[in-house]
Amino acid sequence: MIQTIEASPDEIYDIELEHSLLEANATLARKNRALLDSYGVTAIDVMGAIGSGKTTLVGQLIKRLKDRFRVAVFNGDATTSNDADLIAGQGVPVVQIATVNGCHLDANLVGRALQKISLEGLRMILIENIGNLICPAEFPLGSKARVVVVSVTEGQYMVRKHPQMFLGANLVVVNKVDLAAAMDVNVDSLTRDVHRLKPDITVIPTSCRTGLGLEEVTATLLAA
Amino acid sequence: MHELSIASAVVEKVLGFAQVRDIKKILSVRLAVGELSAVEPEQLRFCYTAITQQTAMEDSVLEIETVEVVVRCPRCSYRGPPKYWSDALSAAPIPTLECPTCGWAVEPAEGNDCAIKSVKFI
Repeated sequence: MIQTIEASPDEIYDIELEHSLLEANATLARKNRALLDSYGVTAIDVMGAIGSGKTTLVGQLIKRLKDRFRVAVFNGDATTSNDADLIAGQGVPVVQIATVNGCHLDANLVGRALQKISLEGLRMILIENIGNLICPAEFPLGSKARVVVVSVTEGQYMVRKHPQMFLGANLVVVNKVDLAAAMDVNVDSLTRDVHRLKPDITVIPTSCRTGLGLEEVTATLLAA
Repeated sequence: MHELSIASAVVEKVLGFAQVRDIKKILSVRLAVGELSAVEPEQLRFCYTAITQQTAMEDSVLEIETVEVVVRCPRCSYRGPPKYWSDALSAAPIPTLECPTCGWAVEPAEGNDCAIKSVKFI
């Protein structure tokens, strides 16, 4: 049964609240960043659609970094630990962040993961976000740079379909370019789309299979 | 579906506000959603209706106002609406971070937040 209350105008109160809904996460992200900065650790948020090649890219970057610096990986995954196991095979500390039904990582989860590892002497943490090209844009984690991985297998128009993701990124990796011809996708045109949204952003074409662009991505992240 | 996270944050905040003031009935909640925030109003309304049931917010109206993007250019000091990308095959023109006057990369100054503006109650 529905009950209706009708108020006379003098009974209605209208209070200005000005409460930001994204601020709670943003505050925790700043806290994470301050903690990371105090240890001189650079955290990189790796975002991208499901199947864009985030885990493979992270694995390739770890291969290039692990003998030079102490590095760690946070692996966001809804349920399984397959990806985390793959990275852990390289002998670096891995924290799996299982979001269960959550579609993005948030600063609170990353803050908890930061308690799980020793930050002493650590140079970099690669944070692999949940495969999703929409939600993570709203939730900064406290990273120094946000990387978006977009692969040619996602088609020609992924950038213009998900502009928010790219507007908030610091680096865009166009992955699987060895498959561009087979997919009939033009890498230059994908790159132009990114620059149309954000003229100053670095875009690096990569192939985790051939190794193309991976040194450049590594160097760019180390300079972040 | 981060709209559910956003809707939950609204409900948590407003019910907390209502409880402290012993308010029994919320009539409406007004949100200001930035054009740059990836929040889809229809999904937000759906989540809001679902999770406000059997609370002091049940049947309350969710009013959503859009906050347009304002950008500022560090090079030419432009401040105003962004340059829009209108032929991108999307339903609506996409705001970009390219300066409309000098082509440099601009910073968003407004339109990337999502906030509760006001609450109406009896």
